[in-house]
Amino acid sequence: MTYTLPASALCRFMAFAALVAGLLSCQGERSPTRSTASASRDGGSSAARREDGSLRRVRAAGVLRWGGDVQGGAPYVYEDPDHAGRNKGFEVDLANALARELGVRAEFVQNDWSALVPSLERGTFDVILNGLEVTRPRVGRVRFSRPYYVFAARLMARRDNPRVRADINALRGLRVGTLTNSFSEEILKDHAEIVGYEGTEEPYADCVAGRNDAVLLDDIIANIYGVPKPELRVVGDLQDGFYSIASRPADNDLSLALDAALARIIERGELEQILRRENIYNDRQLGLRTWGDAEQQRMLGLGPSAPGSAGPPGAAVSSTAPHRMSFGQVVLFVKGAGVTLLLSVLAMMLAIPLGLGLAVARLYGPAPLARIAGAYVEFYRGTPVLLQLYVLYYGLASVVRLDAFVAAILGLGMNYAAYEAEVYRAGIQGVPKGQMEAALSLGMSTPLALRRVVLPQAFRMALPSVTNDFIALLKDSSLVSVITVVELTKRMTIVAVDTRSYVVPGLLCAFLYFAMSYPLSIFARRLEERLARS
Amino acid sequence: MIEVKNLKKVYGDRAVISGVSVSFEKGKVVALIGPSGGGKSTLLRCINGLEDFQGGEIHVGGEVLHPGGYAKNKRALLALRQRVGMVFQTWNLFAHRTATGNIIEAPVHVKGLSVEAATKRARELLERVGLSHRADAYPHEMSGGEQQRVAIARALAMDPEALLLDEPTSALDPERVGEVLDVMRALANDGLTMLVVTHEMKFAREVSHRTLVLHGGAIIEDGPSHDVIERPTHERTKAFLGHTR
Repeated sequence: MTYTLPASALCRFMAFAALVAGLLSCQGERSPTRSTASASRDGGSSAARREDGSLRRVRAAGVLRWGGDVQGGAPYVYEDPDHAGRNKGFEVDLANALARELGVRAEFVQNDWSALVPSLERGTFDVILNGLEVTRPRVGRVRFSRPYYVFAARLMARRDNPRVRADINALRGLRVGTLTNSFSEEILKDHAEIVGYEGTEEPYADCVAGRNDAVLLDDIIANIYGVPKPELRVVGDLQDGFYSIASRPADNDLSLALDAALARIIERGELEQILRRENIYNDRQLGLRTWGDAEQQRMLGLGPSAPGSAGPPGAAVSSTAPHRMSFGQVVLFVKGAGVTLLLSVLAMMLAIPLGLGLAVARLYGPAPLARIAGAYVEFYRGTPVLLQLYVLYYGLASVVRLDAFVAAILGLGMNYAAYEAEVYRAGIQGVPKGQMEAALSLGMSTPLALRRVVLPQAFRMALPSVTNDFIALLKDSSLVSVITVVELTKRMTIVAVDTRSYVVPGLLCAFLYFAMSYPLSIFARRLEERLARS
Repeated sequence: MIEVKNLKKVYGDRAVISGVSVSFEKGKVVALIGPSGGGKSTLLRCINGLEDFQGGEIHVGGEVLHPGGYAKNKRALLALRQRVGMVFQTWNLFAHRTATGNIIEAPVHVKGLSVEAATKRARELLERVGLSHRADAYPHEMSGGEQQRVAIARALAMDPEALLLDEPTSALDPERVGEVLDVMRALANDGLTMLVVTHEMKFAREVSHRTLVLHGGAIIEDGPSHDVIERPTHERTKAFLGHTR
């Protein structure tokens, strides 16, 4: 789980990487998960089964490469504050123990958390060991080991909000924050209005600020990020979930070996020691000692689920293979495209006049104003837009509580204004000086001369760059998912998880972006031609 | 109607105009001649405030310009420029407007004339400069001579009391010079006050009433055009005229 701020969502790149990874992994996805899952349960009885070489490969290499994201922070995998560049955390200890059992060395591979599964599929590492929750969509893509941690989906709310009760059916109509594509999100589907976050700190900050009514996340996360906030209270735990080691479905040998190794580690009490070191051991972990096939089947949602205990949310839907997008999802996609388009248009409508004002102030304003305009441009161009969005939405929440969509428009608009200002400045400076002189000599004031003579010509020169910027903005707008706005790219990642495949949602997403930007290119070219003719 | 008193203009530590005093009468055509860098164009540009100056003052009609540029003379400049038209060496027609569009721009947006009235007047002015057939042409569709004639019509559209022309024929192809000079000659005959920076000695001698010779930022010769050009007294003038003849 877990996954904090900045670099978090370079969604755009990520989504594209995921798309490519998805395309590469078509084969793997189609493999019948149900049968491999039961094969793993057969354990020793399938000695006659043909080896697939995965365990031999790891042993030959002498390393077990495990993927995770140190950004998730304590207690999972995090940089040791006393030894810069060294990692610690209960998953580091567990990985070392597992590697030792296999007779190899553990090697950590840093990977953006939200792209762990695609990276596993393309072979960046052998296993994922990083708070990866067993959820229905993931069961369709990876092979899960027996669990190494049992967590609870913990509901938190403001102390002064008595409406929130520890009952999934009582959340209807409430805005509940959680991490995108998490176990908690799966639980909340159809029960509450989900506010999706990319980091662990933000949902709780927003809860304090009143931007959401409650937060549902793994108890480990809640204890670190939510419980310390005096304004919040623990409402209760809704459902248990599991962290498991994920491997490629085709790597059967390795999976079996890991399951056996994990069993030994648990049996001799080593896992308990590891968990106690990070103070996350509790009674929930007792069941791990007696874990058997029946529990594993239930966890994966493949067997009968006992009352009170957990299968992955939505496990009742029997199919775990990739499936088609429903009509409803296509509608949501088009809506996502609508959000992207509306957001981009409104942001550009802010950026154009603001940029024009900045350019004119810089060129014709009195010295102090020109300096302020210059500083604005340098500041907004010189710092990442992601950070600006973050500061605007979370950083200033105590001063001004902006609606997420409004913050997105302001953040993108103010950022793009800096770029527009430079485009217009170049355009204005490209208009021959004689044009201004001629206008002034006819008795026009400087503002009138600018408006009637210089700017119309500057605009013509700037038009290609403005179009270019708008198309860039259309795609940059995907960054606003970090402040909980669900636009096209975000919609794609959500649907991709639901359908277990990035291929169709990815292509549809790409198509929709193209369908928005290409007509704009055509329109701009026509406009340029028309202006050039006059 | 135009009076320049002790005008001083420097670029860095180089004096471009060093204490020029001169006055121009209504209804007369004055030619400003002299070698390049002598200060002719600068004097003209100071008179309608396109250049700031460091000393002296300039009276045009009732308006007075002091050193300090646009910031210090805003009101005087806006009023003055409506009374004094300017024609540039490189025409400077508004590239995004037709001939008519160029001419009506200032009457409509500065004087507040209706588009219809301004367009009607533009038609008359185009006829006056012989370009009725080019009313809807864009600058890039016209020859230099045509553009300069439109530029003159544009300046005239504001009904100026005087017209300042800064080397109006210098950037033209030789065969196009005549058509512009013809227009200027006609304007002189109509009694328009004109200050013309020029290298056309024939025009200066035949059309202008008075000729000033500027050299090194000072007026070194000033008198009736015929006398100055035919019988110059200053050595520099003789040398200059010797070169141009």
